[in-house]
Amino acid sequence: MIAEVKPTATATLTLDGVEVSFTEGETIYEVAERAGREVPTLCYDARLEAFGGCRLCVVEVDGMRAPVASCTTPATAGMVVKTTTDAIEKHRRTLLELVASENRENEVDELRGHASQELKSLLDRYEVRGGRFAGRQSGTSNSTDDNPFILRDYDLCISCYRCVRVCAEQEGDHAITMMNRGFEKQITTEFNGILKDSACTFCGQCVQTCPTGALGDRKAMRAESLPGEVEKTRTVCPYCGVGCSVDLLTKEDRLVGVQPAMDGPANEGALCIKGQFAFDFVQHEDRLKMPLVRDEDGELHETDWETALDRAADGFKKAAGEHGRHAVYGVASGRAPHEAAYTMQKFIRAGFGTHQIDNCSRA
Amino acid sequence: MATNQELIEQWWKEEAPLLPLLHAFHDRDGFISEEAIRAVADGLKIPVAEVFGTVTFYHHFARKAPGQAAPRVCTGPACKYLGAPELLKSLEGATPMACAGRCDDGVPVLQGHEVRVGRTADSLEKTPSPLPPPNPGNVEECVFAHIREPERNTMEGYRGYEALEKARGMSRANLLALITDSHLAGRGGAGFPTGKKWEMVEQAEGEPKSIVCNADEGEPGCFKDRAILDYDPHAVIEGMAIAAHATGATKGFIYLRYEYPETFQIVERAMAEAEELLGDGFKLYLRRGGGAYICGEEGSLLNSLEGKHPFPRNRPPFPVTHGYNDLPTVVNNVETLASVAPIVMKGAEWYRGLGLGEHAGTKLVSVSGDIQRPGNFEAPFGLPLLTLLNEWCGGAPEGRSIQAVTMAGVSGGFLAGDDLDVTLDEPSIRAKGAFLGAAGIMVFDDTRDMVEVAHCAMEFFAEESCGKCFPCRIGTQRLTERLNGAAGPADETKWREEVHDIGRTMMATSACGLGVAAPNITESLVKYFPEQVAASLKNGR
Amino acid sequence: MSNPLADMEKPDLIFCIGTNMTECHPVAATRIKRALKRGAQMVVADPRRIPLAEMAELYLPIRVGSDVALLLGMAHVIARERLVDREFIDARTKDGEAFLEHVQQFTPEWAAGITGLPPADIERAALLYGRADKAAIYYTLGITEHICGVDNVQSLCNLALLTGNLGREGTGINPMRGQNNIQGAGDCGAVPANYPGFQPVHDPANGDKFAKLYGREMDGEKGITKVTALNRCGEGIHAMLIDGENTVVSDPDRHHCEHALRALDHLVVIDIFRTETAEFADVVLPATAWGETDGVCTNTERRVQRLRAAVTPPGEAKPDWWIVSQIAQRMSIAGFEFESAKDVFNELCGLSPIYAGLDWDRIEHGEYNWPVPHKDHPGTPVLHEGEFKNGRGLFRVISYRDPAEVVDDEFPVWLTTGRRLQAYHTRTQTGRAAGIDYLLSEESLEIHPDDLADWGIPDGGWASLRSRRGAIKIRARASNMSPRGTVFCSFSFSDVPVNILTGSGYDPVTETAELKVCPVNISPFEE
Repeated sequence: MIAEVKPTATATLTLDGVEVSFTEGETIYEVAERAGREVPTLCYDARLEAFGGCRLCVVEVDGMRAPVASCTTPATAGMVVKTTTDAIEKHRRTLLELVASENRENEVDELRGHASQELKSLLDRYEVRGGRFAGRQSGTSNSTDDNPFILRDYDLCISCYRCVRVCAEQEGDHAITMMNRGFEKQITTEFNGILKDSACTFCGQCVQTCPTGALGDRKAMRAESLPGEVEKTRTVCPYCGVGCSVDLLTKEDRLVGVQPAMDGPANEGALCIKGQFAFDFVQHEDRLKMPLVRDEDGELHETDWETALDRAADGFKKAAGEHGRHAVYGVASGRAPHEAAYTMQKFIRAGFGTHQIDNCSRA
Repeated sequence: MATNQELIEQWWKEEAPLLPLLHAFHDRDGFISEEAIRAVADGLKIPVAEVFGTVTFYHHFARKAPGQAAPRVCTGPACKYLGAPELLKSLEGATPMACAGRCDDGVPVLQGHEVRVGRTADSLEKTPSPLPPPNPGNVEECVFAHIREPERNTMEGYRGYEALEKARGMSRANLLALITDSHLAGRGGAGFPTGKKWEMVEQAEGEPKSIVCNADEGEPGCFKDRAILDYDPHAVIEGMAIAAHATGATKGFIYLRYEYPETFQIVERAMAEAEELLGDGFKLYLRRGGGAYICGEEGSLLNSLEGKHPFPRNRPPFPVTHGYNDLPTVVNNVETLASVAPIVMKGAEWYRGLGLGEHAGTKLVSVSGDIQRPGNFEAPFGLPLLTLLNEWCGGAPEGRSIQAVTMAGVSGGFLAGDDLDVTLDEPSIRAKGAFLGAAGIMVFDDTRDMVEVAHCAMEFFAEESCGKCFPCRIGTQRLTERLNGAAGPADETKWREEVHDIGRTMMATSACGLGVAAPNITESLVKYFPEQVAASLKNGR
Repeated sequence: MSNPLADMEKPDLIFCIGTNMTECHPVAATRIKRALKRGAQMVVADPRRIPLAEMAELYLPIRVGSDVALLLGMAHVIARERLVDREFIDARTKDGEAFLEHVQQFTPEWAAGITGLPPADIERAALLYGRADKAAIYYTLGITEHICGVDNVQSLCNLALLTGNLGREGTGINPMRGQNNIQGAGDCGAVPANYPGFQPVHDPANGDKFAKLYGREMDGEKGITKVTALNRCGEGIHAMLIDGENTVVSDPDRHHCEHALRALDHLVVIDIFRTETAEFADVVLPATAWGETDGVCTNTERRVQRLRAAVTPPGEAKPDWWIVSQIAQRMSIAGFEFESAKDVFNELCGLSPIYAGLDWDRIEHGEYNWPVPHKDHPGTPVLHEGEFKNGRGLFRVISYRDPAEVVDDEFPVWLTTGRRLQAYHTRTQTGRAAGIDYLLSEESLEIHPDDLADWGIPDGGWASLRSRRGAIKIRARASNMSPRGTVFCSFSFSDVPVNILTGSGYDPVTETAELKVCPVNISPFEE
């Protein structure tokens, strides 16, 4: 890939006492992140327009009478920024205590979604153990939406609106909205109904950006009780030709879920219902496990590889022997990897010197 | 009755069509049905979910019968002590609403397009809003100078747009210099120099530019904009037209709060009268809000106008470059705009000279609550607060004394005791930790439970918090719970620590003025009335 | 695609024709939605009022199979209004004059008569496309699955050449590939006319090269297509090795297909399920599936990416390459001593000029779009920048042809087929994914509500659907997506084997079946 040519840095600012260069249009947060600062956020998703809701990313800027949200404030030349003063850290801890106080629980299984550990990690980092700021909890979990894909456990919602924004900005579906205002704010769909009756396409993007697990991947969550650690393997979605990068979630050799790869070059974190949720044909009980050969009774019977491969090879030899080398035809798959297609065509060309090979692109 | 299609045909090509279209359905059906939301979404090409979410944001948009027909009773801090709670109970199907801007004669009850006022169900009467009483000191006025003249709210009574004519005879540069020189500054509370704002819009790139009049007067205890628009709407329209001339704007919007339906009609009529004088170069639109305090915040107001979810906008960029439709826009308060024509006619020096001492100009102050003569007064900047309260307004009711007043409606928190000895100007009041802002002053006498008053104010902020930023959304809720005892520590030290921590973080990190200002209530409560706080905690509230 | 996926957010004008992208390539469609939000305009041509149509500035509900007429009419307007890019035509194309002369006769009024569109809309589409600084075309099988599929594609190329909308960011001719590695199958040479890397078999130099590499003489003539092969089963084709394709369900004219497979002496099927096709096999060999197999795939923008195994395959399932190699070894075919997918891929890179700069390790992060002709090459996200691969872009003089079958008194309704968001192909995969049934549990025929009423079929009732090749029973559903006189269903459900009906004709060049057009007769189903 040709590296994107970025305009050269034109200005500098002072970040925690160090001079850092930046490009016009960058926000303080982006500059800080590039410089290795771990500025905490909860409403931030790099793919979305900066929102400025959680206020955890506030920093001190000389000359400003109050801290500013670094995610929405453009960097300007000569700015003097402090990302972690005692006062700022105190505010962040207070904000996290407030957020922690509005939820039923703040610890969920990582299978709920890609970003589901964000809140918990910040609570750990700031050693917020809860208890302060007790009061009513916000958000009401939706118990009527029995769709098999997306858990809507809004008791855990912190109104960061990442789900609403990803649905609108990234997916363009506008299925999710926010109802009411203030502490009564509730994430919902049109007319406060269920997802199936809305514009939702079940792409799962809302689930994957949710920082608390209020939205959960119901299919992956089926494996919460299975033993073992969750492991991730990067691969490419098996459906259409867009080639979205995904991470396969496994637990002790069991494929339990899929998450989009945020740095996937083709999809940049996006997925659709098939890529997100239609993975369990793998390890399905209907899978072929043994070679089959048709016996004299006319039925297919399980056998060992030696027998099956010999039968396969003999048949081709016989056909070519009786009807000539053009009598053998190969159909490669548009679904299998290169190695399948390459060996298929090589089998025909090296085996018979013909080009009696095609793939399934014509249907 | 108009069909869905007819309503959409009427509005979809108009400027800022969502609010008027929602109102059209609301007025037609008495509420906004699911079918109406679908029709609006389809007609304006806005996703259904988004229209739905936006409708639920506004307090007054009903989604089922009896909807608009049911009475809504003001339960603001002033009306609360005028019998609002009892009135609410006695009216069938009535629901509460936030301060509806009739604190000077309360209690307003809004039903359909009509406001009636009274203290009991039997005494409710449709009366015009009170005229500002003349000030006793015969102090020279600017905005109110002519407001008491009969028929002033008609073009005939207003006697034409003389100032506009004069302004149009001036170059933009000279006009801008005049306004700058007058030291006129934003009278909505933020106090940004008006001349500078106009100049920034004039110089900003992008067209068409707009002048937005912020008439979403929602601050409890503030009712000055209502008085201006009821009795002198042409002053505002003329001010907008002058602003348009100064900046090159070609569009103007008056964003009026939902709770002033009679004012809407008055302004609508005045606009029709003004159309010819304004000419083709400046088109004016009147838009009615749906009941949301936050829409008085300029970013929310602009989002609301544009038909978006009315969250405040992140700043920068500011409206002067990215306002209505992301184009350069002046957003000015009613009072600011009403000051413009007199300044153009009488000059910058005259206006500056209206203030006392080094202060320039005047400020409208709405006084209400436990006070002998409530009402709107135009005070010179620098007037001692106690002069206003005791001499202009007659002091506390017979046999009582003033315990505390609120500042800036409720946003400035309380002033009490020796701190009442301030003058009406920002430096003096800010030195006490409060601010003048839009200058709503509610008076509470010595019989009032200040913790209860504080709770009423905080509950207002919690209900009006838009929900965008964490500190305000959660903070206003937690402070409310700590004031009414629903949650929080019983131990006074711990209680104070929590309230202070929440307040400090809200002030430092909230995304807009609502969350920054709300803790002024708790901070000043603790400062002036620690023993009332302690007692209330002891009594287990 | 001539341009990368990321480019989809950059055009000023997007022309989508024959692509139901929000359902078939949903993630690509998100980029179009973002382009629209940014202010781009879109023209959508499709017989059905698909979701994209609702987002379009201009929607053209063309009659099925009339694309060439629309595109000729648009070219006529572009030429007439002098919106042609003279500089581009002179510098980079060939036969432009002949084409410009050719299109003079195809007025919008003429095109209107065939497409059923108002002439003014054809004008407007042409002006929108012709006036845009950056105009990009996107299409899928709605363009190619016709007897005139090649003509359709060429007509789109003509438009792009005429206006210089090629070889630049945010422009191009962009077919969206429907299967994860269908591009890769072509890259690897699994086609009758090309060796790996699209090296034509008719070029003797390539023949010599591969004769050396593969250790035997090579035919100088290309092979036959799968479609022809199925036609010749038992008469020239006697043995077949099918890898991972459910031919019986996905191919047109199912009865013909079943008959063909039965006529073979020897059929070996490699698959992950015992598919309908496997039932005709002599030998069925269990392959490892996605998620169990290391390998490589190429997406629609020619991006070469790695697939990785995460779990152990079930039972004795083996990778396809291993299975094919084992058969080859048993037939004493040389060169199948592969020990890993990496071995196979690296061999491919060594003999494919478009992969010459790649190897297994270099594609770890998927940064490369082919061609990558050497190790220092950054890859080619945008094709035809500066120059065309074959020198000049060729205009083709094309005329409109009717579909193989047109509606008549006996078969008065157009049937067109496609996919749905929640199902994929023959549902061997999505049909086995938990939860999909919640959203899509059965197939149904989408019919305009007025047609439904005229034909006396209740909404949700059973209908009998007949073509010249067969009949099926299908549930009927009222849908405003279908125009009057045109019905739609997908081919995903095996209990609604719509491909019993299809197969009226094939493109003479590619032999792609005309799956998008099939005249049918519809009546209430009677037991």
